[in-house]
Amino acid sequence: MLSRSALTKGVQHAARRSGAVSRRGFAAAASAPTGSYETADISGLRVASKDTQGPTTTLAVVAKAGTRYQPLPGLTFGLEQYAFKTTQRRSALRIHRESELLGGQLTASHTREALVIEASFLRDDLPYFAELLAEVVSQTKYTTHEFHEEIERILPFKKAAVHADVAGLALDNAHAVAFHNGLGAALNPSASFPFQKYVNEEYVSSFADVVYSKPNIAVVADGAGAQNLSKWVDQFFKSVPAAARSGQTLKSEPTKYYGGEQRTSHPAGNAVVIAFPGSDTAGSKPEIEVLATLLGGQSTIKWTPGFSLLAKATAGTSGLSVGASNQAYSDAGLLTIQLSGAAASVRKAAEETVKALKAIAAGNVSKEDVAKAVANAKFGLLEKAQTRGAGILLAGTSLVHSGKVQDLAALAKSLDAVTADKLKTTAKSLLDGKATVSTVGDLFVLPYAEELGLRV
Amino acid sequence: MVSLAPFVLKRPWLTKMLTPAANWYANAAGYRQLGLRYDDLLEEENEAVQIALQRLSPKEAYERVYRIRRSVQCSTIHKLLPKDQWTKPEEDVPYLRTILQQVEAELAEKDALDSMTVIKKH
Repeated sequence: MLSRSALTKGVQHAARRSGAVSRRGFAAAASAPTGSYETADISGLRVASKDTQGPTTTLAVVAKAGTRYQPLPGLTFGLEQYAFKTTQRRSALRIHRESELLGGQLTASHTREALVIEASFLRDDLPYFAELLAEVVSQTKYTTHEFHEEIERILPFKKAAVHADVAGLALDNAHAVAFHNGLGAALNPSASFPFQKYVNEEYVSSFADVVYSKPNIAVVADGAGAQNLSKWVDQFFKSVPAAARSGQTLKSEPTKYYGGEQRTSHPAGNAVVIAFPGSDTAGSKPEIEVLATLLGGQSTIKWTPGFSLLAKATAGTSGLSVGASNQAYSDAGLLTIQLSGAAASVRKAAEETVKALKAIAAGNVSKEDVAKAVANAKFGLLEKAQTRGAGILLAGTSLVHSGKVQDLAALAKSLDAVTADKLKTTAKSLLDGKATVSTVGDLFVLPYAEELGLRV
Repeated sequence: MVSLAPFVLKRPWLTKMLTPAANWYANAAGYRQLGLRYDDLLEEENEAVQIALQRLSPKEAYERVYRIRRSVQCSTIHKLLPKDQWTKPEEDVPYLRTILQQVEAELAEKDALDSMTVIKKH
């Protein structure tokens, strides 16, 4: 805000005359880029948009169809693979060639809670891609031959990639142990998963019918004006049904935390995930976010381990990757400390992790470190929401789950209230409760939870 | 290949007139007496048919191979099948032609897209 004295008299006069109503001239921006999403409801379909006035746009359909909601394992993966395949109106090849000609990028991905079908393109091409996404959602054919010729063909490679990612496997196992069903479902088909038994084009098609209905999806755009977007969404998303044609609904049970330990032998690397019940996306436990940043593991500044306890404790250990974070979901969360690297280093880091938690529980943390962690957690939260891909995923997921885009400013504010005392009691209750420990790799070297001093 | 079929099929009276002749011809062609369907006679040695054959369901593919082997056997021993095993006219349905048309359309589209010229509007 400009101070009054900085304005000339004429401007002051104009400002007084216009009162609270802001008028804009031709040169002024349409609206100040606020960085938050505007939401709208277009005949039952939730739409969110953010206009940063940039030259490119990302448009996404976010569906409540993550692995958590799949009735059979692998269906979310199957549905993701069917994105941008042959529709009633044009072939998969034509879709890709056309978007290539327009310089667009088409991607589909999924998380534990959401399935994201996304297109990034030049700003002027919004109508084309809005139509395309509507077509993908409502008119995909789910043909048998594409399942056999394209989806099954890449499956072994996908499985191999999943199998080779030791840290990812450990995190997946940690979710399975912590939540059992629902959020515990594997994110991607693992090497031993019997895909053909559970997934075929008919199952995928009926899952799509349940999932792609208006109350279950949200359209999110970054880089498009709200009015422009509403116009095209209104026109093209008419064909999306208001409810599943088969009359079925998604099953979802409230998440419950169990905890426990799982150890898997793996030749390709070593990873340990130590997890505790965390904070959900609504920010039910802000102290968990701060605790995750305080444990940290990765420095945010150069040439020094930084303030975080794990980074300091493991500064001398080489070939080790440490990261603590809160995995937030709509009704639960998981505070995870992910360690991967050489077996001996991982073992040492796991011991250091428990030591650090015990130090926090004993109150041996300086006020300054807590202040740094709060500031860093705030930055992390807001920065994540501001980046394009993550921001769209965040906004879309909260839209389909709660019907509104989450107020991150309020969430960031709630972190301010976290004190060292609160962290102390939280850490204590985490250590007293059941932990989740997932170990993948050289089991001869990697420790049991019992050895680390955790209760499972 | 030029075909008169679309021209005939568009005119109901002509279709009606020629149907008995067509039925006579199909029976006289002799493949039904060997237990084959018309689609079993399509030339296999080209890319489109190979792709189309891949897309048959396992049951259809099995039955196709069974019919062809049975007819080869019949041909070897210079005999026709017993009359109750002849292909009935209502069984002689296109099961491969429909898929083949799709595949050909796909290949034609691919060719067209591979050799397209882009005309910029601006």
